[in-house]
Amino acid sequence: MQQQRSTLLMITALFLGLLVFSFLTTDDLGSFGITILSGLFQGMLLFLVASGLSIIFGLMDILNFAQGGFFMVGAYITFAVFHGETFAQLDPNLRFPLAILIATAAGGILGIILERGLLRPLYARPIFQLVLTFGVAIVIGEAIKAIWGTVAYSWSPLTSFGIHQASFSLFDQQFGLYRLFVIGVGLLLIVLIALLLQRTRIGIIIRAGVEDSEMVEALGINVRAVFTQVFMLGCAVATFGGAIAAPFLGASLGMGNAFLLAAISVVVLGGLGSYAGTAVGSLLVGLAIAVVAKFASRPEINQTVWSSITPMILLVLVLLARPSGLFGKER
Amino acid sequence: MSDNILEVRGIHTFIGQFHILEGVNVSVPRSSITVLLGRNGAGKTTTLRSVLGLTPPRQGEVLFDGQAVNGKRPYTIAQMGIGYVPEHRAIFRDLSVRENLEIAERQKGDLERHIDFIFELFPDLKRLIHLSGGNLSGGQQQMLSIARALVPENRLLLIDEPSEGLAPVIIEQLMEAIRKLAAQTTVLLVEQNFIMASRLADQYTIIDDGQAVASGKMRDLVQDEALVQRYLGVA
Amino acid sequence: MPVSWRRTLQSNWFHVLVLLFLVMFPHLVGWITGDSPLGVGGRPRGQSVFWQLIFIELFIFAILAMSYNLMFGFTGVISFGHALFFGMGGYILGLVLEKTGAASEVGLAAGVIIGIVVCGVLGLIIGVVSLRLRGVYFAIFTLAVAEMFAIYIGRWPVTNAEDGFVLSNLPAFLNPARDRLTYYYLVLILMIFTFLFIRRLINSPTGSVLLAIRENESRAQSIGYNTLIFKLLSITLAGMIAAGAGMLQVILTKKVGPEILTVSFTVDPLLMTIIGGVGTFSGPVIGASVLHLSERIFNREFIIGSMSINIGQNWSLILGIAFILVVMVFPQGIVGTWAKWRAGKKTTLE
Repeated sequence: MQQQRSTLLMITALFLGLLVFSFLTTDDLGSFGITILSGLFQGMLLFLVASGLSIIFGLMDILNFAQGGFFMVGAYITFAVFHGETFAQLDPNLRFPLAILIATAAGGILGIILERGLLRPLYARPIFQLVLTFGVAIVIGEAIKAIWGTVAYSWSPLTSFGIHQASFSLFDQQFGLYRLFVIGVGLLLIVLIALLLQRTRIGIIIRAGVEDSEMVEALGINVRAVFTQVFMLGCAVATFGGAIAAPFLGASLGMGNAFLLAAISVVVLGGLGSYAGTAVGSLLVGLAIAVVAKFASRPEINQTVWSSITPMILLVLVLLARPSGLFGKER
Repeated sequence: MSDNILEVRGIHTFIGQFHILEGVNVSVPRSSITVLLGRNGAGKTTTLRSVLGLTPPRQGEVLFDGQAVNGKRPYTIAQMGIGYVPEHRAIFRDLSVRENLEIAERQKGDLERHIDFIFELFPDLKRLIHLSGGNLSGGQQQMLSIARALVPENRLLLIDEPSEGLAPVIIEQLMEAIRKLAAQTTVLLVEQNFIMASRLADQYTIIDDGQAVASGKMRDLVQDEALVQRYLGVA
Repeated sequence: MPVSWRRTLQSNWFHVLVLLFLVMFPHLVGWITGDSPLGVGGRPRGQSVFWQLIFIELFIFAILAMSYNLMFGFTGVISFGHALFFGMGGYILGLVLEKTGAASEVGLAAGVIIGIVVCGVLGLIIGVVSLRLRGVYFAIFTLAVAEMFAIYIGRWPVTNAEDGFVLSNLPAFLNPARDRLTYYYLVLILMIFTFLFIRRLINSPTGSVLLAIRENESRAQSIGYNTLIFKLLSITLAGMIAAGAGMLQVILTKKVGPEILTVSFTVDPLLMTIIGGVGTFSGPVIGASVLHLSERIFNREFIIGSMSINIGQNWSLILGIAFILVVMVFPQGIVGTWAKWRAGKKTTLE
């Protein structure tokens, strides 16, 4: 109880601190609002990468360094399907959802291959699993380089339902409707995954497995099969994240690593294996990135580098102050 | 079909490079309570875990209801009808009491079919049903852990040190419950508390230094002070 | 005395042979191709000088890989931020040489000492902060710190951001572009020194504690060792050696830039260690040789008849896949697998 209260207090303080800082350093209400919305947008994308990372770690004790690569795969496949020749005849309103679907399915299948083929033989040697996912991350990056080259792709202005071009104004500041759409989808997924974990049998098994997967197996449940499903789900969600980010971020080779590191700091900040921690941590880190980016873009500072370092500074600070994270348990 | 529901024949189990079990034999007759006795670190817990395949034996045979189960994955062995109540209880602290029971279902409706029996054995659980496992007391957790093994149709229960760290009143309650449930199924028990073991069990096997050194009827063991003194250090 | 000499020679005949080969190598190439090891026409050109460069690079990688292996292979601590030490070593040497206005000899000595000390302290700090945590946190932490430095220094105006700066203040005797043979022998000696140092360390009582930590840390703890201190020692030494390798690298290229901080200088030693053999003495050296030589030989376009296969373009992809295969199939690497095979053969003979 005591700890719950102090956790709550800490989270409130962190959010309030960020909001106040942003309010004081932005010039008007409009850019303040835009900063907050950008933070939410960043946070949702981070959540999509981080949720898989966190659940997979909690259940299987594997930190999947390839998770950023899946995000990148999602962006590239979506880009290729939407802009490629194969589906060029298709109506863009259909083409876009189809591209996302194909990308997500590909991510899930790759996830199954990775877990079944490469990780399963190594459960007795956890340190090699870590090394292996690191290697897979490199291979994914290099494979993308071999297929699509090193140029960064940016999205053509066309997307389904005109949502990409549309924007709305907030205190005289323009904000793309597409980013709002991503925020909505992210929130929806947070709720859906929470429902899955709380209300379904597989959710109960996952939560129990995070605590003690051997005991789950001893009850007569095929835990390995659950591992595969969860791994697939985690990879598919990360790929989906890359897919819906593509119209805004495009597709480039650096995006995987950038999101991986930010997502890792989210997961550590929230507490490895804690779903609530991941959700809160995503919002916190996303907001921090946006606030710092806005602050650092002022002419007298002019150091865009700060926003990319922000998640890592947060990570280092959290590891120093509270190694098990906001919602983490001492292990 | 043999009279014994479980037949452990000469199993050797390693943990890492340590040779823990060096040829253990245990027979568990149907509808009885068999207790594994022995000093700390003798290999009692490892024997239970080897039966279930959690620490798979490298040699020897484990027959459950006449069928060899060694080499199978733990979940398949459990599905054949073995319930496991590990030491230190190992309930899921983040799950509610109800979820702790639900997760043990092997067929839909398992919990519903047995919930009355469970509440009859452990009436306390009824009012705790919505609490999360971590908020229960040690004794309540132990009851939940046994109850969880009663949810599916199990023909054998492996119960590891149920009395460990509990108050005498609670131990009495647990003994009563175990005696009642043994009327419906078979129990293989690990118990350090010799008094409790002697009052509960029909059969015993003594494990010492990774080997089964003696076995027989419990009432004979109670008479044999020399044997008890030698392997268990109690009189 | 002669008896012990003979014994040393007998048990190390392979190493002595390799050493003799490496000492003779520039002259061998010179003798075969007719290009003097000192260069052709008074300038550093020709086959011998070209191959010296490749081998100097190889030696530097070997030193880096050995330092990684000290941590990963002998202590069981996995870091994903080793490039930090390599890069920082290079940067600090460069900064001291170029930005302090010191005379070149003084600057070199000061830069080497400061660089190694700073990297040791850095390793110590990172270790103190994160080694109490479980292995995976340490990996995350090192990756985050290394990336942070890489991003920041890549934009740091003092060091010309992504362009880096040139080393022009090196002492005359240390000029690999002019006198490569001297540098070849210098780096060779340093590599041998590192090899012997690590072997001596691991065979000492301290080393057996490190190995015990790798096998089972909680057991080492329960025997009564303060495992944290020993792990700190391991990562600090590894950081210092890696810093030295980074310095040799910037002296060789005469340039300091953010590329020496990138994750590839973590990936390469990791790969070399695993391919060569984790936790073996010669594994990292052999891994570095295999990787670097094959990169130099295969990393280009091949034309077979009318077909041209550009292996160079997909070199990193091939490496990555090879790496995964090694982890899956030969986790003990070349040296470990070889030792196992020989042991297996011996037992079947007996």
